[in-house]
Amino acid sequence: MRNIGRAVAAQLIVFAVTYGALRLRTNAATAGFAFLITILGIAVMTDLATALISSVVATLCYNYFFFPPIGTFTIEEPANWAALISFFIASLVASRLVLRARTQAEHAEARRREVEALYALSIDLFTATNRVGALGEAATRALSNAGAHGGGLVLFGNGVYDQRVLSWSGPKGDEVEDLVGGAGRHKRTLEIPAPFGRDVYLPLNIGGKVVGVLAARGTTATLRALESAATLVALAVERERFLAESAHMQALREGDALKTSLLRAVSHDLSTPLTAVALQIERLRSIVDGPAAATVDEIAEHTGRLRRRIENLLAMARLEARNVVPRPEPTPAADLFRAVREHLPLVVRNRQIEVRVAADCPDVFVDPSLALEILANLIENAHQASPIETTIELCAYRHPLDPEQVRLEVSDRGPGLATGAAETSDTPRRGLGLEIARSLGNASGGNVTLANRTGGGAIARIDLPVAHLPAVDEVPA
Amino acid sequence: MTPRPRILIVDDDDGIRTTLEQHLVVHGFDVVVARDGIEGMELFTSMQPDLVLSDLAMPRADGFELIRRIRATSETPIVVLSVRGGDVDKVRALDLGADDFVVKPFSTPELLARVRAQLRRSRIALRNQMEFPDLSIDLEKRKVVQGGREVRLTPTELSILDLLARHAGRPVSFNEIIATVWKGAQGTSNDTVRVHVGALRRKLEPDSSNPQYIVTEPWIGFRFIAEPV
Repeated sequence: MRNIGRAVAAQLIVFAVTYGALRLRTNAATAGFAFLITILGIAVMTDLATALISSVVATLCYNYFFFPPIGTFTIEEPANWAALISFFIASLVASRLVLRARTQAEHAEARRREVEALYALSIDLFTATNRVGALGEAATRALSNAGAHGGGLVLFGNGVYDQRVLSWSGPKGDEVEDLVGGAGRHKRTLEIPAPFGRDVYLPLNIGGKVVGVLAARGTTATLRALESAATLVALAVERERFLAESAHMQALREGDALKTSLLRAVSHDLSTPLTAVALQIERLRSIVDGPAAATVDEIAEHTGRLRRRIENLLAMARLEARNVVPRPEPTPAADLFRAVREHLPLVVRNRQIEVRVAADCPDVFVDPSLALEILANLIENAHQASPIETTIELCAYRHPLDPEQVRLEVSDRGPGLATGAAETSDTPRRGLGLEIARSLGNASGGNVTLANRTGGGAIARIDLPVAHLPAVDEVPA
Repeated sequence: MTPRPRILIVDDDDGIRTTLEQHLVVHGFDVVVARDGIEGMELFTSMQPDLVLSDLAMPRADGFELIRRIRATSETPIVVLSVRGGDVDKVRALDLGADDFVVKPFSTPELLARVRAQLRRSRIALRNQMEFPDLSIDLEKRKVVQGGREVRLTPTELSILDLLARHAGRPVSFNEIIATVWKGAQGTSNDTVRVHVGALRRKLEPDSSNPQYIVTEPWIGFRFIAEPV
């Protein structure tokens, strides 16, 4: 309707120019220029159809009023035909050029607006995504800039139907969830005709994974502009996720640092008084004798056990706090046995301990501290479980069934395990020590098991990986 | 009469300081005590001890700082008292110049053995002939005799044995072994050292189940444990 009105107005202008030219009694050439300028003006102001109609009307008026015979649509002189056709072509071409220039200017203006909107969106997204809710607000502004009448940002959790609406404006019918899910599942943009343009559902794709959907409802913006906005929003979603993970990692690191300093402090504060107690007990032992000496020995034994428990708990706490990770290295089994005997002086003093390491036994690949704790616990268990006059045997050999394992054994001549207890549960006397040994064994990449021993008693077995050392050339002496 | 060796004890714990002092005095040492690294450094300068026994965790200047300051001017043996699980601290202390460590809670015999080994160190460092129980090492003749039998060693094994025996009682790090025996040759790894030491032990140790001469020092290197005769 508006276009028809504009076309009629354009023709009225042509008639007005004709009237003016006639009143001023201009010649044909002057009138032709006046018509041409009028057509250019109409082309600038209106659309192509109006400009074309105006060209035809102007040509007819030009012919009717200014080429002899005047008042007819015929032309006597052939030269005037040429003038009239030239005028018509010139007016058509000029109209077309003017309109094309105007269209290009309009497109350029639209692209400028889109780029400005995207720039504003990128600023919104990347300066404020560490603020709660900023992402949703930015997405709403992006949709508003794209001329959308509604829509919002929906993020996916576990799967495309686990949807979290971060922001939404306008009505949201039941079909929206399916459309959002469809765009996410097929990883493709959905365009659906709507009263004010169309509804567009744009998947937010990061590295091949769709993390959500940007829905622009009732928009006339170009698909390219909407997809650019979706890419920016996807990057911002990823950035926000990364920032959240980073904050989480920072909190973990700070927690670990706190645990480390606590463990260090506890370790120092427990070890120092225990050392003082142990030294005082030794001093007492050197100055008392008789029944008092036996009491001192008993105190020493209990202190030693307390020390071992504290060391166990600290070792497990360090592992659990990831304060230390096991640091395995090639270790000869004989050195482990020697170290554990040095570590348990009270057991060694009162008990015969026999050590046998097979000649072909390879080194063990184990964290020596953990292996020491495991062996110490198992030997203390054996010591408590078996009569003092019996021998505790420590053996090491290559596993008979698995050449990639070394088996360490702690054997005693105690009562052994209750029927059915082997390999599964423990007798009370072996409870905590064995549990600790098992936990530390698992942390060392090994396995601790308990079995009854032929001829009476129990065998604790620790299977640990073989250390692989390089072949080295040796020069004979 | 031989003068009594003087030992400087640096520890912030009153109980440890007092007890250690009593033990060391009973076993024939002169003892001076300090509560932290700063007091320790002052006493070190004024008293010129033969050995320093220092804790690592202390207020004001800690044990690491004390080691650094002492090593700037002196080669006096330093033994540090470390807590179990403090392997990183041990390695750091050794790298800074400490000679040995004992792990708390320790026993008196263990501590005395470490102290004596360090005091002995300078006396055997320059000898070409070394005698240990059932073991004699003659470097001039390149001859090693264990339990009356001559042990034939490769040049590499002999160099390692020489280095470890000269530092008897003290941990010798992988880096030190590689620097001395292989002259720091690139491509020599800790595992290469382990293989050669393993071969040396098989030839040297009369009972592989109960090593008498060389044991591993976890994450650090090896220690020659026999005491010189």
